[in-house]
Amino acid sequence: MSAYKPRILVIDDEPQMHRFLGPALGAAGFEALRADTGEAGLRAIASASPDAVVLDLGLPDMDGKDLLRAARAFYAGPVIVLSAREREAEKIATLDLGADDYVQKPFGVGEFLARLRVALRHKLERVGAEAVIQAGELELDLVKRLVSRAGEPVRLSPKEYELLARLAEGDGKVLTHRALLTAIWGPAHVEDLPYLRVLVGQLRQKLEAEPASPKHILTEPGVGYRFMR
Amino acid sequence: MTLDEPRRPDPDALLLEAAKAGRGRLKVFLGMAPGVGKTYEMLAQAARRKAEGRDVLVGVVETHGRRETEALTTGLEILPRKPIDYRGRTLLEFDIDAALARKPELLLIDEFAHSNAPGSRHPKRWQDVVELVDAGVSVWTTLNVQHLESLVDVIWKITGVRQRETVPDSLLSKADEIEIVDITPAELRQRLAEGKVYVPETARLASEHFFKPENLTALRELALRRAAQAVDDELIGAMRRAGVSGPWPAGERILVLVGGDAMADHLVRTGRRLAEMMDAPWTVAHVERAGRAPPSTLSLSRVNEAMKLAEQLGGATLSLTGEDIVTVVADYCGKNNVTQLVIGKSRDSRWREALGRSFASAMMRHAQGVALHIVTERSSEPQGPSLRQVVAREPGAWRKYLPGFGYVAVATVAAWYLDRTFRASDLGMIFLAAVFTAAVRQGLRPALLAAGLAFLVYNYLFLEPRYSFVIGSPTDLLTLLVFLAVALVTGALAGRLQDQQRATSRRAAAITALLAASRRLSASAKKIDAATALAEQLAAATGVRAMILLPTGGEIAPAAAAPALSTLSAQDKASIATLGAQDMAAARWAWEHGEAAGAGTGTLPAAGWTFWPLQGISARAGVAAIEPRGQADAEAERYVLSLLDQGAIALERAELAAEASEADALRRSERLRTALLNSISHDLRTPLAGVLGAVTTLIEYGPELERPVQVDLLESVRDEAERLNRYVGNLLDMTKLEGGGVAPRTQATDLRDVVSAAAERVARRLGKRELVRDYPPTLSTVPADPALLEQALVNILENAIGYSDDGSRIEAAVYEDERNVVISIEDEGRGIPTAQLQQVFERFQRLEESSDRAAGAGTGLGLAIAKGFVEAMGGRIAAASPIHDGRGTRILISLPKEKRTPHWLL
Repeated sequence: MSAYKPRILVIDDEPQMHRFLGPALGAAGFEALRADTGEAGLRAIASASPDAVVLDLGLPDMDGKDLLRAARAFYAGPVIVLSAREREAEKIATLDLGADDYVQKPFGVGEFLARLRVALRHKLERVGAEAVIQAGELELDLVKRLVSRAGEPVRLSPKEYELLARLAEGDGKVLTHRALLTAIWGPAHVEDLPYLRVLVGQLRQKLEAEPASPKHILTEPGVGYRFMR
Repeated sequence: MTLDEPRRPDPDALLLEAAKAGRGRLKVFLGMAPGVGKTYEMLAQAARRKAEGRDVLVGVVETHGRRETEALTTGLEILPRKPIDYRGRTLLEFDIDAALARKPELLLIDEFAHSNAPGSRHPKRWQDVVELVDAGVSVWTTLNVQHLESLVDVIWKITGVRQRETVPDSLLSKADEIEIVDITPAELRQRLAEGKVYVPETARLASEHFFKPENLTALRELALRRAAQAVDDELIGAMRRAGVSGPWPAGERILVLVGGDAMADHLVRTGRRLAEMMDAPWTVAHVERAGRAPPSTLSLSRVNEAMKLAEQLGGATLSLTGEDIVTVVADYCGKNNVTQLVIGKSRDSRWREALGRSFASAMMRHAQGVALHIVTERSSEPQGPSLRQVVAREPGAWRKYLPGFGYVAVATVAAWYLDRTFRASDLGMIFLAAVFTAAVRQGLRPALLAAGLAFLVYNYLFLEPRYSFVIGSPTDLLTLLVFLAVALVTGALAGRLQDQQRATSRRAAAITALLAASRRLSASAKKIDAATALAEQLAAATGVRAMILLPTGGEIAPAAAAPALSTLSAQDKASIATLGAQDMAAARWAWEHGEAAGAGTGTLPAAGWTFWPLQGISARAGVAAIEPRGQADAEAERYVLSLLDQGAIALERAELAAEASEADALRRSERLRTALLNSISHDLRTPLAGVLGAVTTLIEYGPELERPVQVDLLESVRDEAERLNRYVGNLLDMTKLEGGGVAPRTQATDLRDVVSAAAERVARRLGKRELVRDYPPTLSTVPADPALLEQALVNILENAIGYSDDGSRIEAAVYEDERNVVISIEDEGRGIPTAQLQQVFERFQRLEESSDRAAGAGTGLGLAIAKGFVEAMGGRIAAASPIHDGRGTRILISLPKEKRTPHWLL
């Protein structure tokens, strides 16, 4: 274990969350910082510049979206959103505002830490992104714009390639429908969810071993898609 | 139209064809008289159709025992007749419902003009046929030409027999096919002689007259002409549909002018025949004279009858208004290109005619380019009651002549006195005053009477020679003339004025009544109130019983009646409660078809009530039933109709209001459900998140964690599980309260113990808050259920903890007054905005979303449960906030002490 412990700021008003997140983060090799209100959290982001932020959307003093918008003005690190299911709309909004991932309550600590590590790795790699992404038998060359599966080249339409590239660049990060639609078809088509569904279906047909139970292009129901290696 | 222009089909003709689509076809076998073989011909053709494989059903055929005809019916399916009891006899009638249910391709119905037995749906068989054809059944039927409505008086003139069973001519025009069944009169007479023509025994005598050769010849001509006309119509129709231009009659238009005299229906029939001959549209008009008193009931009903007849015969009807009949009519003729004007010449205009001022001559002068048909009155037609008879019949009419005698008597006394005292000479003036008064106050006739009387008295008592009726000088005669002239002029003027005044005040009264009714109706918010109000207004307007039937579960049933059901005698109530099958059938007809039915209408007239549909703006609201009443004047009828309109709208509005409030209630319960779901989602999942998080941390990293951390995680699991348990308990409590399942087990309780127990239970959740208890040294016991009260207090304390900061104080105090023991719980939290104080005891009411998680208390149910429990024990609960410095909340629970015998009595 290296000397440097990534510092994780947990902003949550419920003490019982801190009660287990603190020890769990500590045991997993992180240093946990605690904030009980939105205001305290914002101050901590500014003063402590943590390596990642875990943000509960149900804060008493502040809307989670407002907090994120304010934080993004000066903080570029990964943000993971904690939320209960009934806050779906808010969750998607925070992803669109730049949150990296979300975890739905109640959650197991293992899943939470895995998401946190993905987010941190993504942050580290953002400086010099990989030119070639390997995911199982898939290989994606972002420079040459080539995709192959088990060594065999796969022919993709320009839109399919664009979708795959976006997802792969996200590398485990959830991309919302809105973000993908805007990136591929432009802002006029943010509501045209069926386009995206068709395109994802085509991509899975070409890339997944079993398109019905995909391993790489995963659906986040009601939110968007993520690419897993 | 230029010659090059392509011939387009006439849209009117196509529209007519389109309207016929979906309907059955009507074919009429037309004959000149009974016995020509119409039924035979119809059956013969039907048998051929049957042989072709068509679906033919005999609805009703009268074979009158003729064997050849009977033989034809074998092999044809015959619809069983429906027995109808009428005055102890059972009549077998055509069963329209069975026919509609069976719905054959072709239905045979003999004797188109037949009158159905009372108690059938329609009084006339042709109405059955119309309904069947509308329902898509093709019908063949038979008809003798003498039964055609417009020919009734012609036939009467020819044969001396007046037909009672008639069929509107328009039906024959609408028939898709007419087949004439013709034999020569000689042949028919031979068949009659051979006994092949069925004539009922009673009619034998008349029939001998009827079947005279010249009669038959005339009838045959009529029948052939009608058939030829129908062929013409068909040809023209076909040509127009095909867009063939042809020799159309050059725009003849016929206007028939009817008044309230006995000639009205005769004029209408004349107009109809004229229209038939010219193939021209015809209109029957009546002129209402503005500024005049409404015409008498008799003449109004005659006009109405004539209008009805005109509509039956296929004419348009129209009501014109104006001061002067001649100008109005001439004006209308000019504007509407009327080419033929039919008017009647009645007897009472004879003296006007002598002066050259009859209506006919005035019309001749004014109407230009119009052919004028003047129909003269028939002397043999029974006259309507003459004016004298009408006056005499008017009950109490003689009474208005009495004051005339009084005035003259007063004048006589005054003149007598003046004559004796002053020897006054011009005593005539005093009598003139009496005549004048009678004229002004009683009108023309009483004034004339008074004038005569005054002259006689004046002459007898005051003119020389006195005490004799001898007229002494010519000036005396002049006096008589002056009296009469004053009576005439003033009386006529005053009479007209009075008539106008009466008309105005009658109209004003009608409007006032309608306004009052409308106010009453619109004030009814509930449907049943509106129905009751409408029934009462109808009963008041008509003077008979009225009832409102409203739809309930697909059927309509009596909902309100006036006089109200409760005030009716038992017998009346029974008769209302059990509307007969006839009545219900009529009510249903009115409800389903949107047309009046029952007594006095063309549908099911045997019913005991008249049923009017209550047609609202968007839907039918119900049916109004009114008992048949005697002759009603048109004004009252109009009033009833507008009442029905208003009532329908009021009912509709009440219905809409009910729907709106239902929707509102639904919305509120929807909101509650959403709140419940949110609460469950949040309040169940938050503790679960803590449990799951702590447990998974222990599983993944247990060995690496230090001992105190492990213990803390385990404790957090316990805390969260307890929290979950509390929440589930709250939900269960609330469910019990909702279901009324809370039965307090009261016992004499020391509230200090209960408060202490509750304080113990929340002690661990206090954190750094301080809970202060303030008890008096002695306290009366109150009847309470300690367990329920403890739960209520725990909920209130948890709420206080949840809404206040660490380090603040919570105070639980107990004190008593004369009647109650009071528990007061105060915190130093944010307090409750005054506007929300009322709502804090409602379910799922939180100050704001997710504000109470820190303390892990709020379920949105706590205070609602506390309130439910306290009230179940007969206590009261209230909240006050802020209590000091704009902060803090105080909840007060007061429980009544046991009623004890006052100590000074012991």
